Amino acid sequence: MEATQVEQKYSFDVVRWFSIAAVVYLVVGTLVGVYVASELAWPWLNMDSPYLSFGRLRPLHTNAVIFAFGGCALMATAYYSVQRTCGVRLFSDALGWFTFWGWNVIIVLAVITLPLGFTSGKEYAELEWPVDILIAVVWLSFSFNFIMTVAKRKTSHIYVSNWFFMGMMVMITYLHVVNSLAIPVTLFKSYSIFSGVQDAMIQWWWGHNAVGFYLTAGFLGIMYYFVPKQAGRPVFSYRLSVLHFWALMFGYVWLGAHHLQYTALPDWTGSLGAAVSLAMIIPSWGGAINGMMTLSGAWDKLRDDYILRFLIMSLAFYAMSTFEGPVMSSKTVNALSHYTDWTVGHVHSGALGWVVMVAAGALYHLVQKLWNTEMYSAKLVNLHFWMATIGAVVYITAMWVSGIMQGLMWRDYDEFGTLTYTFAESVAAMHPYYAMRAIGGMIFWAGAVVMLYNVVMTVRKAPATSTVRAAAARA
Amino acid sequence: MSEKSNPYNVPDTGHVWDDNLRELTNDPPKWWMIGLHASWILVVIYTIIYPSWPWFGGAYKGMMSWTSIGEYKEDMKAIDAIRARYEEKLPGMSAAAILGDSELSQYVTKSAKVLFGDNCAACHGNNGAGNTDYPILADDDWLYGGKIDTIVQTITGGRQGVMPAKGGAQLTETEIDQLAQAISKGEPTTAPAWQKGACFACHGMDGKGMQALGSANLTDHVWRFGKGSIDDIKYTITHGVNDPKDPATRNAVMPKFGGGKLSETDIKKLAVFVHQLGGGK
Repeated sequence: MEATQVEQKYSFDVVRWFSIAAVVYLVVGTLVGVYVASELAWPWLNMDSPYLSFGRLRPLHTNAVIFAFGGCALMATAYYSVQRTCGVRLFSDALGWFTFWGWNVIIVLAVITLPLGFTSGKEYAELEWPVDILIAVVWLSFSFNFIMTVAKRKTSHIYVSNWFFMGMMVMITYLHVVNSLAIPVTLFKSYSIFSGVQDAMIQWWWGHNAVGFYLTAGFLGIMYYFVPKQAGRPVFSYRLSVLHFWALMFGYVWLGAHHLQYTALPDWTGSLGAAVSLAMIIPSWGGAINGMMTLSGAWDKLRDDYILRFLIMSLAFYAMSTFEGPVMSSKTVNALSHYTDWTVGHVHSGALGWVVMVAAGALYHLVQKLWNTEMYSAKLVNLHFWMATIGAVVYITAMWVSGIMQGLMWRDYDEFGTLTYTFAESVAAMHPYYAMRAIGGMIFWAGAVVMLYNVVMTVRKAPATSTVRAAAARA
Repeated sequence: MSEKSNPYNVPDTGHVWDDNLRELTNDPPKWWMIGLHASWILVVIYTIIYPSWPWFGGAYKGMMSWTSIGEYKEDMKAIDAIRARYEEKLPGMSAAAILGDSELSQYVTKSAKVLFGDNCAACHGNNGAGNTDYPILADDDWLYGGKIDTIVQTITGGRQGVMPAKGGAQLTETEIDQLAQAISKGEPTTAPAWQKGACFACHGMDGKGMQALGSANLTDHVWRFGKGSIDDIKYTITHGVNDPKDPATRNAVMPKFGGGKLSETDIKKLAVFVHQLGGGK
């Protein structure tokens, strides 16, 4: 199809805005991450200001990368691929714009309220109740728009990427709503309707499934569209995609309890969570190998297709962290790893290695398609690839070492049966690794800046086809 | 679809999306299928061994009756068994007696290290190395005395020194400045204000402090507040310490750890630990 025909057939403007927003939020979100990581290594960066304290900036970092960057990347790719794989225009352009502006209002509200100290105290769901309601409304509009687009598709079957996106939408809706159930006391303060260990359980049921359905199922949706597209190869196995899709959908919801082993949570709950966690290695690998084997016979493309490099490296990280997670949920390892930096390292091997890499690959692909041009600089894409890879590896390695060291120091007993180290000594021992982690993060962040520059330059030189182009020219 | 773009030589499912997206009819790799079945079998085995499925009247308890609290207690039992031969002697002994027993004092020093780190180091620094405005415990300079029983007393009851503010009506700026210069040199008695301010009443005729009051030795260049600069000394003279009449007064409170915060045995352990840090008398 000619570019102009495609332009008329599909609703791409909202995708363009989501794409640009995703790249901007990647830079902002990882910058806040680098700052809080640096605070842990060099605490004077707190500057004795409550607004800059770790406790307030850390949720800002997690919200920025998960919901601002991740959300915009998901909405850009979902809105794009659903139109292309269904062969129809978005169900409603207006609803599309509502999700874009609504989502960005939520992000602005997060940027204001979190540093001011407004928090519901729930990890990965810190935003207070009015924002939670707004999130539910925007998320449902996004889901509705997507599902209605699928409903009016011209193709007989629903493409696999759309299963994953829809799985995410259904699960995240009810996870978000149930976890956010609260009694408002004032406009800015509410209390969870759950209490004690039940609240902790609900919190982690949400927490782990934000990973499972938002950062995994959603991004597998991205993978299933953009890997075969970029590689120009058919998906390796339809059967495999069906099997690992349903295994993930049925399995993931059980895992939350593995975050609360050796706590007040009844033992049966934690054990069940750990058992199903271990059983999730193979289903997770199903997605990784289906993506990788799609490349069979096209491995030579990795030599000069830097976008494909992002996509394939993301699958390698995905396979690694979905092995690591279940291992960490087994009782013996969990007893050592829980509460240590190993958990932080694990999260980031998934977040930096899988989520950002697959999204970056998809966004580069998108930018070229949406602006009907080549990237401004392929070399800079390659540079970003290496910075992202090296940054992620430095980060993860630092956290492995420091996490395992923490676990070992905390439990070390001498010949008299007394603890060998004070807690403060374990903190002091972490310092070099915290510095190393901050440096890894800086490298990763600098890579994101390279991406932003490259994307902006690409849009600027592209033929005028869109509102974003016009906006960029005005700026 | 060309031969080259389908390296597996299997047919696709016949569906095409977005011009060229297809899916092949490959079976999942055999190892993966085996793994998938092994996974659910693993869930069955794991949940037979460990407490797992909820049921009426309480969840299934697992084949081995494993509980996390049971695992914890077992670990603690093993540790307690090592500690017991020392710990059982401690309640009946005074801190001084523990200090006199080389094996016990070695044990106590080891076991108090974490107690010190958790309760004392925030102010007194790692291993008593001190922080600005908080006394160093690793030297042989003692405000209240470095005998083992005095240290027990200090930890049990806490300490709160008092020095009245001498600024304002009592001493002039110049007098305070001269006095600070003299203290800085370690010769406090040479300043005219030494007599006028009645400093000797608490710090002694020789300016070496009185441990019964906890007053500082002003001749030894060990600084209780600040880092010993003229300004630091002037501030202390002007505003005093814990003087309720001066809102800018220096605060110096060592909280009490007796009365339930720490057990008597733990306090004895800490006293022996502090005594051995370097300066015990």
